[in-house]
This record gives sequence, structure tokens and C-alpha cells, in this order.
Amino acid sequence: MKVGLFIPCYINQLYPQVGKATLELLERLNVEVAYPSGQTCCGQPMANSGYEYESVGACNNFVDNFKEFDYIVMPSGSCAYHVKKHFDVIPQTDDVVKVRENVYELCDFILNVLKVKNVGASFPYKVGLHKSCHGLRGLRLGSCSEMVTEEYSYIGALLEEVSGTEIIELTREDECCGFGGTFAVTEEAISVKMGKDRIQDHLDNGAEVITATDTSCLMHLEGLVTRNKQPLKILHIAEILNSVGDQKLKK
Amino acid sequence: MGSRDNILSRVKANKPEAIDLPKIDLNVFDDSRNVLDEFIKKVETAGGNVFEATSSENVVSQVKTMFPNAEVNFSNLEGTQRFNSFSLEEIKNPHDLDDLDILILEGGFGVAENGAIWLSDNKMTMRVLPFITKHLVLVLKKDNIVPLMHQAYQKLDSEETDFGVFISGPSKTADIEQSLVIGAHGALSLSIFLV
Amino acid sequence: MSHSKAATIFNKDEKKVNWHDKALWFVRHKRDISAHTVKGWEELRSLGQGIKAHTLSNLDTYLIQFEKNALNNGVQVHWAKDGDEHNKIVRRILKEHHAKKVVKSKSMLTEECHLNPFLEAEGIEIIDTDLGERIVQLAKEPPSHIVLPAIHKTKEEVDELFQEHLGTKPSGGDPQYLTGEARKHLRQKFIEADVAITGVNFAIAETGGFVVCTNEGNADMGAHLAPVHIACMGIEKLIPKQEHLGVFLRLLARSATGQHITTYSSHFKRPQKGNEMHIIIVDNGRTEQLSRPDFRSSLHCIRCGACMNTCPIYRRSGGHSYDATIPGPIGSILSPGKDLKEHSSLPFASTLCGSCSDVCPVKIDIHAQLYKWRQIITKETPQPFVKKFSMKIMGSIFSKPKQFEQVGKIARWSLRNLPKGMINSKPNVWGKERDLPLGPKESFDEWFKNRKKDGQ
Repeated sequence: MKVGLFIPCYINQLYPQVGKATLELLERLNVEVAYPSGQTCCGQPMANSGYEYESVGACNNFVDNFKEFDYIVMPSGSCAYHVKKHFDVIPQTDDVVKVRENVYELCDFILNVLKVKNVGASFPYKVGLHKSCHGLRGLRLGSCSEMVTEEYSYIGALLEEVSGTEIIELTREDECCGFGGTFAVTEEAISVKMGKDRIQDHLDNGAEVITATDTSCLMHLEGLVTRNKQPLKILHIAEILNSVGDQKLKK
Repeated sequence: MGSRDNILSRVKANKPEAIDLPKIDLNVFDDSRNVLDEFIKKVETAGGNVFEATSSENVVSQVKTMFPNAEVNFSNLEGTQRFNSFSLEEIKNPHDLDDLDILILEGGFGVAENGAIWLSDNKMTMRVLPFITKHLVLVLKKDNIVPLMHQAYQKLDSEETDFGVFISGPSKTADIEQSLVIGAHGALSLSIFLV
Repeated sequence: MSHSKAATIFNKDEKKVNWHDKALWFVRHKRDISAHTVKGWEELRSLGQGIKAHTLSNLDTYLIQFEKNALNNGVQVHWAKDGDEHNKIVRRILKEHHAKKVVKSKSMLTEECHLNPFLEAEGIEIIDTDLGERIVQLAKEPPSHIVLPAIHKTKEEVDELFQEHLGTKPSGGDPQYLTGEARKHLRQKFIEADVAITGVNFAIAETGGFVVCTNEGNADMGAHLAPVHIACMGIEKLIPKQEHLGVFLRLLARSATGQHITTYSSHFKRPQKGNEMHIIIVDNGRTEQLSRPDFRSSLHCIRCGACMNTCPIYRRSGGHSYDATIPGPIGSILSPGKDLKEHSSLPFASTLCGSCSDVCPVKIDIHAQLYKWRQIITKETPQPFVKKFSMKIMGSIFSKPKQFEQVGKIARWSLRNLPKGMINSKPNVWGKERDLPLGPKESFDEWFKNRKKDGQ
């Protein structure tokens, strides 16, 4: 299978370690991953701000770079959701349809395509799972507390198998962190309050680390944790799943 | 063009293509819980109280013990006129019922999933009765309880009423800081006697 | 005032935000518990959606059927194309009966039409009898939530209001005492009322009847005591058959407050002997919303308020910050349809988390509609030049890999090298309460290219 790796724009520029962890993890799982270097962004930042028509260039660029692949994997639920849901803004050529059908968030890909549950990682810490909204309620990467359904979680299933990890239980298991794209800036007061409340929930329940499928959420939470000097480490799930051998948390 | 025609023509012009009515399959909702137990549980959740009785007279005598100081009383149960402190025919104006303390009514049927009892004005000549009374007492036959609202409406299919109401529990409000207060504008208490 | 401005003001009092947020989250939590007791809950939601969608696709037929049956039942039926006409119809009925005192149970429609100030200007006393509505009426404020109108008021604030307007003794906000006093005060109003106005939760085409749901019994106390009952409804309140109430009455209270049903679900069909019953059917923008394929399903709304209880933004900003008759998520997809410019900030008062759509008993895809309204607003209302321009630039950069890499480099360098004081200065809104990430030396792209070069 031809697998293409998409690295979200802000991970590429600001959190390359998440991209590295993703690539190394997939290679460890014996996936031959190609990284088309002409990629930029899925178009979400413009589209969610109401400027869908300004995202067309980014959408087309995405399709151009990834049309040859059977699977397009990315360490982001929101980008995968955006491609699946909102790429109807460009003409639906065969390439576009194919790309939209074959994007996968990382945990989804590992669990449901590679059919791997235990990736051989070791991470002996108390971890709070932040269930990023677009992945959760958009892509249904897990059950949500609002709905009366069987409980499941792709990221949870993988994290459970990581040696030494204790997943703590939160008071509000899937409330939004408050990032929301430009919302973080246009509704700054509420965005900050929502982030602070999420962090407090994790602290109240004993988390040492917060993880999620989306770096957008984590960037927002980390910004608060750093500013407020709170005792939490923020890591993308790829970084945890790629933790093999002796890794001490850098404080 | 009057507003009626204006609105209807706009609806006709703007409505979407016809969409079929979904089919309701009641099997999906059947949870085989014990109907009586569930009904009692839900009445209590709604703030009502459930008692057992052997007959209409028994209901009245229990009610008298529960509310010894009640002065203005009315019951529409058969053979319990002695309980009544007035006759309904005397009441010309529903406002005159303002000081009603106890009202005993024969309930229509019960609904297990929410502890509601159906009352229709076929059995209740003045509609305000169950609302204006201080304390409401309803009498229900144990085997006259349906599991869900779907079955309730199946029953109502054959009933012709000008006004009817499902009552579940005493009146209540949580409008002051979400503190539940039993007794808003309707009855302050609801007692259900199962016969 | 934009939502964002109002929300910033609301957030100045963090204690109050926490209190408001916890109060509403508790209601959401109760909803979860009660939904989980219902076997087939998700199927029930699908049925709710399906019945409403079908009804809208056949709405003119159902309206005609409803009117015919209501008329046969001896009910008078009126049609109002907008709020103003609705108010005039009410006034006309009141005048015909020389009515001076009116009691009203909860009706968001009458809020929407601004009925109260209209009648008060005519010297008519109109009393909102739902306790929460009475509280905000005395406080001269609009309701902040469609089901819990006074959720933003502390019990101490209510205590002071009642002391002033009802002459109650100071009680430190004792809910039992205050409710008891309100009961006495409003009982008098019910007895004296010339006309009772209620809303309509569901109107049944098959029978010409309608249902009104309350916990307090105030709709009934009004309607059965006054000689005239006026029921006000939007065209979208229609459902085809009585049996469909089985679906909606199972969904409504559980979604709204977590109760399995409201205390009273009153089924009105014919007026009491000697009394009059009127129904006013109102459009006021609904037929316009019906014409919008992307947004017409917002007309499925059964006004349960579940979306407000679950919305993390609503809980932390309060209903008044939306400055719309109906606030919260559902309000944010209904209001732009009425006045795009006035309500243009509302679809942006959201992170698009999707929780609202998942609690909605009739499965309105609220978060998807918020996204769609954003696309319309940026095109059809004046946008700040800076925003428009920066989006255009972003769009251009993100479609050109080389430019993207360039800009990324500059951004990373700035984050690494510019003094923190400069980065976290006033124009950087992000930096007010959050640190920015450190700028890594290499982007992922550069790292990958170097890795390739090193023959890995």
C-alpha cells in the first residue's frame, strides 16, 4: 500500500518533533511512508474563519500532492476532518474524491488499517486524554459523552497498551479546549477560560501529561500551562506512541 | 393578499422536495422493565408519593388521615360524596375553587417511563381543578399502566377529549439558582393511590 | 455589541463565570443521565428529525389541515406574517374583550415579537407567570435562556428583587420562601386575568389541537381561569399526527432538564363552554429560513435548550452576550437568517466542537450550519480590512509550497529571537494569557530533507 504522510502546517513549522515522531512510529510499524514535500496546509485556517474561497489554492495543492496514494495519514483529527467534510468547496474530480475517501488520522490508521493495538511503546506516566473535538465528533474517532452508544476510543485503545501508562479519569471527559482556530484570538477571553478549565480538570485528577490527536488543542493548552507555570507536560499522541526504551520526561 | 395566503404561498414556494414520514418501530424501544415498578419509581422521581388502597372508601379514609386539617375537599370517585365539602354544580366560576384543599380524581391511565397519569375533561367538569387544588390525589388501577408514551397515544387514539393532560408529580420549579422547589403554581403535592 | 465584546465583559468576573458554567453543566449532566435510561434514544432522535423534516416538506398541507380542524373545534385561527401583525392581532382580541389584565406563560415567540412592550404601551398589564420569566420581567431584562430564563441570576439577586417588587422579607435567597411568595403573588394575577396567553410546544395537524408543557402549571392556571385563551405559535411547531407526540414528549423534557416529562403536558383541543380560544400562526422570517436548503433544518427546533446547556461558550458567556431573542448555538443559526449584519458575530462565537449537534433531540447539524453561515457572513457583510487581507495572503501562501516554507522560516526565527516582551505585546492577542510556542530551528520539511541527504 502506498502511504502518504501529511504534516499539518503548524506542526511542520512549530512542532516538527510531532511530525518526526509520526514518521518514525509508522516506519517502526513497517509502513513505507512517502512525504511529498510540496505539501502546505489543508486549508482549515481560512475555511473555518469563513474564507473558504481563499482556501481553494491550499485544497488543490493538497490533492495534487496526495492523489497518488492509497492512504493519506496525518497526526491530526481536525485536518483529516476538514478534508473529508469541507473539500466540497473544490470541483469533485476523481482525484479529489479518492483523496477525500482515503485520509486517516494517525490512531485511526494504526488501529483500523494496520490493525495494530500495541505499538511497543513505554511511557510510565499518568496521562490525561484530551479528546480533540473535530476528531471525536467530526470523524467519530471515539464515542462522545453526549450520545447513547457503545463506548470506544481509537486513541484510548492505543494508549491503553502503552507500557506503564495510567490513563486518568477526567471530570468532563470530552469538553472542548477552546482553541477553535481564529476563535482563540477573536474570542480570546472565553478561549483562555475554556483552556484553563480543561487544564484544571487534568490537574484535579492527577495528570502529569496531557495528550491528544491534535496539536492545535495542545498548542493552546501548552501556551497556558507555560504562562502559568503549571506542572504538566503536553505531548502529541505520536510522541507517546513513539516512546520506546528509556525516556525521561524533559521538565 | 391576506397574511394567510401570503404565508401559505411562501411555504409552498420554499418548502423542500417531499420527504417520507419515517416508520416508527416500537420494538426498538421495548426494554421489558416491570411496568408497575417503573411507574412507582418514576412517580417518586417526579416528587409524587405512591400508596396502595383497597377501595374508594379506603382512599378517602387514608386521605383524611394524611390531611386532617383540610377543609375544602372534593372527590369524583364513585360513592365518596360524603368527602365533598361542596357540590360542583354550585360552582359557577372556576375562580371560586381558589381555596380548594384536596382534590381526589379518578386517573385515566398511567405511563411507566415517566410516572405520568392521563386526565381528561370527560371525567373532570372544570379543567382548572387539578391545577388550582392545593393537594392532588389521583387513583389508578394497577393494571392500567402502559410502558411508554407510544402506547399511551395508542390508547388515546380512541378517546375523544376537548382537553386532557398528562400529570407527572406535583408542580415544581428550579428557577431560583437551580434549587428544586416542590409547589409552584399547581398542586403542592401529588399522591397516587394504586387500587 | 458583538458577542466577543460582551463575553469579555462577562469574563471579568471569573467567579460568576464558574458559577454559571457549573449550573448549566449540571443540567447537561442530568440530561445525559436521563437519555441513558431510554432504550433506543438515538433512534428516537432520528425519528424526531425525520418527522420534522417530513412535516416541513409538506408544511402548507399540514397548516391547512391544522386550521380546518381547529376551526371545526370552535377555535379561532389567525395568521400573522410578522411580529408586528401578531401583536396587533393580540391587541385586537384584547380590545374586543375590554381586557386590561393579561397573564402569559412561556412563549419565546412572543419574546421574538416583543409583545410585552407593545401591550404595555397601550396600558395593558401583561404578567409573565413562569417564575423565571417573572424574575427577569421584574428585573427589566430579557430571558437569558429559553428554558431557564433566570439562570444568570443568583438567589440573592432574586431575593432583592422580590423585596422590592413583592414586599417579601429578606431571606438570604431562600428558594422555598421566595417561590411560596411568588405563588401567592401570581395566584392573584391568575384570578384577576381577563385573557391568558400561552405558547405552543406542538400543534397537531390531524386534530387541530396543541400541547403546552410546563412544570409550574402556570399555562393551565392562566388558560382555565381566564375566559379567553390566546395560543401563539410559529409555523414550524406543527407535527402531522397525535401519535408523533409519543416521540416528541419522550425527547423534550429529557433534553431540556433531564426530567422524563414535564409535570404538565396539556392537550388543548376545544375551548371550555362559554370560553374563547384563539390560535395565532406566525411566520416572522420562518418561510424565509424554509427557503434556505443549508439552514432550513434549524426549523426542526423544539426549543429544549440542550444546545445551550452543553455549549462551552454559552456556559461561559451567558445568554445576554448573544444579544438575540434566542441565544446559544440554535440562536446563532436562526438569528443571522433574520438580520445577517446585526448577528454576524454569532456564528463565530463557537469553536465548532459539535457538542450541540450531538445533544439536539432532532439532530439539527448546528455546528455544520455555523460553519456555513461564516462563509456567507464574510462575503455579505463588511469585514475588517486586515482580516480580509490576511486571509487572502494566507490563501496565497498556503497554495505555494516555496512561499509557505519562506514564511514559516521567518515565523520560526521571530519566535526564537524576538524579545518576549515584543512578541507578547498588545497586538498579539494570543500572547495576552498564553505563551507562544518556541520557534524550532528546523521545520519538519527541512529535517526530512536533511535526513534524506544523510542517506536515512
